[in-house]
Amino acid sequence: MNSFIVEIVMTLKSAARDPVAETIQRDLIAKKGYNMISNIRSGQYLKIDIEAEDMNSAKEIIIEMCNKLRIFNPVTQNLNILNVSKKNSREL
Amino acid sequence: MRKVKLGDNELEVDLTENEITFIKNNLERDPTITELGMFDVMWSEHCSYKSSRPKLKLFENAEENYDYVLAGPGQDAGVIDIGDGYCLAFRIESHNHPSAIEPYHGAATGIGGIIRDILCMGVRPIALLDPLRFGPLKNNPHSQWLLKYVVKGIADYGNCTGIPTIGGEVEFDKSFQNNCLVNVACIGLGTIEDFKHAPSRAYNPGDYVILMGGSTGRDGIHGVTFASRTLTEESEEDRPAVQIGDPFTKKLIIEATLEAIKTGYVRGLKDLGGGGLSCALSELTGDGGTGANIDFNKIFTREPGMNSFEVMLSESQERMAFIVKPEGLETILNVFKKYEIAHAVIGKTDDTKVLKVYDNKNSVVNLPAKALSESPTIQREEKRPDYLDDLLSQETPNTIKSVKDIVYELIASENICSKEWIYRQYDHEVGVRSIIKCGDGDSGILRIIGTNKFIAASVGANSKHCYLDPYNGAKGNLVEVCGNIIASGAKPMAMVNCCNFGNPEVPESFWYFSNSVNGMDDLCKKFRIPIVGGNVSFYNEDDVTHTAIKATPIVMIVGIIEGEENIITLPFKQTGNDILLIGETKPELGGSEYHSIIHNLEGGNPPIVDDEKINTTWNFIQELYKKKLVRANHDVNKGGFLITIAEMCFKNKLGANLDFKEINDEKMRIDEFLFSESVGRFILETESKDYTVIMNLAKKNNVNIDKIGILISEPKINIKGLITNDFSLDVEEMEKLYRFTVPNLMEI
Amino acid sequence: MNIKIAVIQFPGSNCDLDTLYVLNNVMKIDAELVWHKQFDGSKFDGAVLPGGFSFGDYLRAGIIAAHSPAIDQARQMLNDDKPIIGTCNGFQILTEAQLLPGALLQNDSLKFICKWIRIRVDNNQTAFTNKMGLGDILDIPIAHGEGRYFTEKLKELEENNQIVFRYVNESGEAEENANPNGSLENIAGVCDLEQKCVGLMPHPERASETILSPEKTVHGKLFFSSMLNFIERNVK
Repeated sequence: MNSFIVEIVMTLKSAARDPVAETIQRDLIAKKGYNMISNIRSGQYLKIDIEAEDMNSAKEIIIEMCNKLRIFNPVTQNLNILNVSKKNSREL
Repeated sequence: MRKVKLGDNELEVDLTENEITFIKNNLERDPTITELGMFDVMWSEHCSYKSSRPKLKLFENAEENYDYVLAGPGQDAGVIDIGDGYCLAFRIESHNHPSAIEPYHGAATGIGGIIRDILCMGVRPIALLDPLRFGPLKNNPHSQWLLKYVVKGIADYGNCTGIPTIGGEVEFDKSFQNNCLVNVACIGLGTIEDFKHAPSRAYNPGDYVILMGGSTGRDGIHGVTFASRTLTEESEEDRPAVQIGDPFTKKLIIEATLEAIKTGYVRGLKDLGGGGLSCALSELTGDGGTGANIDFNKIFTREPGMNSFEVMLSESQERMAFIVKPEGLETILNVFKKYEIAHAVIGKTDDTKVLKVYDNKNSVVNLPAKALSESPTIQREEKRPDYLDDLLSQETPNTIKSVKDIVYELIASENICSKEWIYRQYDHEVGVRSIIKCGDGDSGILRIIGTNKFIAASVGANSKHCYLDPYNGAKGNLVEVCGNIIASGAKPMAMVNCCNFGNPEVPESFWYFSNSVNGMDDLCKKFRIPIVGGNVSFYNEDDVTHTAIKATPIVMIVGIIEGEENIITLPFKQTGNDILLIGETKPELGGSEYHSIIHNLEGGNPPIVDDEKINTTWNFIQELYKKKLVRANHDVNKGGFLITIAEMCFKNKLGANLDFKEINDEKMRIDEFLFSESVGRFILETESKDYTVIMNLAKKNNVNIDKIGILISEPKINIKGLITNDFSLDVEEMEKLYRFTVPNLMEI
Repeated sequence: MNIKIAVIQFPGSNCDLDTLYVLNNVMKIDAELVWHKQFDGSKFDGAVLPGGFSFGDYLRAGIIAAHSPAIDQARQMLNDDKPIIGTCNGFQILTEAQLLPGALLQNDSLKFICKWIRIRVDNNQTAFTNKMGLGDILDIPIAHGEGRYFTEKLKELEENNQIVFRYVNESGEAEENANPNGSLENIAGVCDLEQKCVGLMPHPERASETILSPEKTVHGKLFFSSMLNFIERNVK
């Protein structure tokens, strides 16, 4: 058994309006001169420590859990696995 | 700050050399580093009131002098008997400095703290009020940011715990630019029985000490270096500068605590606020006349490897200390288990009068229980500021602006305009007690289900007036806040105050505090209003410029209305009815909104309080109420009485024909007459058929009263009888200006 | 018949006592507070999931409560033809539990909003609207930060008559100015396919007494009288 860190992000589906992202883009970014930024989507981030055989099974377990327990809401959100990495003894 | 070395450990403290010597002499040894840290926190100005205690002794003992006061200052909250077997607990506190750094969490944890204090009296918290102060909003992103997040912090915390925010006020002034004020008040309701069985202190040896709530982390710990480990700058960065609240845990704590108290097994109860466990344990045992034996290893922590210093001084939020009768231990633990709240039995009380904390066999704290709460006081000097004479003699310049333009500017000004943007974010209806919705009355009004009683509560202060004359300003605050209560149909029953001032070591700042206290004391004694609690926040001062905030002694008054039919609301109701101005208008433009908005002046002569006249006015109004003669009532404050009348027109879109021919005082300029902020005045709506009765009653009571006009259906305020030409104010236009100022400033 | 209604309490529920008070004292219905872990649906004829911040709204409003055993009980009650209503947080819980379609997102203003609004009855056949007239306009308050209704199955909902309430103006029009939170099609409340489970963001328990109502109406009572009517009809 190995220790892994799986990072996931849950973003709103494109059909759903994202006023958090809109506000950041409009009020902060557009005003302070970062016009080169064209789009922002906001999301919820989770960093999960998990014991698994290998990186693939770590990922699969997380995906299954998120679906089964509705960690993300499939009506409104998309689930993305951002990163799977081996956990070192040093604190990440 | 000074560094104190104890063995291999070093601690930065605010204690003075004298205080450290005092401690050493008292203990007859050097304190341990944990003990020194405890003294540093407990003897800080914020916890010990060392600068203010000598002055606050002036207030009379509320419990002794008023039979309906059940708990007075010094307890976690003031409590009054309101009849029908019910009691009300209330308290107000400040959370200024944390909110200036981190407005969201600072304000939220302020709410968290005040709720806990009410819970300690054994009653359910049922309402919140929030008086706030910021720098002006216009062209000021910093103030906009502070306002946005303070309101969000209060909203998120209050809404999640299910306690409605029913009132508050906000003032904008440049003296608050870098020192915003966030005061929070809470009201609790219970039966007299609840209160009698309420836990107080740990007065019985052999009881269990239980810690429950959030876990203990390193929040709030700074400035210490341990032999074994240094809290370096890096680790400092890791720790938030401000505590993080958890309203969900708080909600569970509210329900669990009320349920635990009902079992009858809770003997003592204290929330863990500033000073954390040190403060709570020393107050419980010190005030209770007992001691305690605490096993520090039983305290559940959030971070590994915390030492006794960190645990005893942690300011992690959402924690309560319970003192429980031995025979009730299992029952109480089961209540905590039901709500899945973390808890641990951390020790027992004893009769030694010493607070002892052990880390296995090592003694880390061994202090007489009272030692921490008996700090020496400091006599501060006071000196009237030199700048006052010039300020007070400032004369009102002439202006080419028309009265109409002035009124339109005032109604849209930040200190007068609608604060709906704020209160829409507060759930002000949860609990199904809120009768008068925000904006419809001068006070928040709550019903007491099962009775015919209603609670009226209001909070506020006028910092601009207090800046010019703290004595009359403080009295004026009370007159105004009492006026709000009276305008709603209630009689003021009790007061709590929150004193916000600058650096007490600066004689001019202390002078403001001292005179404000004198003003509050004189007025409360004259009108027999008990002072059942108070809070002092000093050091609200800009570090760089050394300018203090304008003196802000906030007061909160509660009163009771008997019978729904006796509740009076603000909006004008009926075309054809009379508009009466009660009370005396004097040329007192000092500190007025007219002076600051139109002339950019801070000075002038501010309102003086005439106790006798106010007393007769209030009695007169109560007599009108008895005879059911009043249809609407709004007390006159910022901007003068025309603003008051406009506000009363808004809801039902009525208008008025006003005629000042008979009553225009020749000695006063028009602007003095219209925009003066003389205290103790009211605008009443009454029926014309009752005019004679009312006038006779006023004459009998020697009250100043003028019929200044009648209500009309067209939404215009038509004014004649002044030296200027007759003119008209458009009610709908004014209502738009009134409504959109804050949203326009806040919604980019 | 003695009808018993459960008001289910989750850790963090706020409007449970308010709802209980209205049911017992205003509607004179025999109602009981039940801690979610101890909820036994077989003992009751109907249930209310009240407003509040169950489990602090952590992760998403209503998701943690949706995993409570109380929801299995609620599912069984619906199978047994017993009516269930979720108000505010209760609505959020029912959508997360998938007993109702769609989901509730953060208000588009990003701010909590507490005010009295109007809703229109667009389905008066449900267990909680059968005493209302189709097209009736009700005065009722909202108080929420996450009330924006969202679904990608709007057509299905319309075809199955599952849209129960819409936010409207004085004239009964579901226009943008009347929409307090950006909900799709101004939807304020929906029901399940069998019309026995209803969820809405507004608070009927706050609109059941004239003393609390700015318009002096008591439209909140209609929800509960409809519920009684449904239960009584079903027994026959």
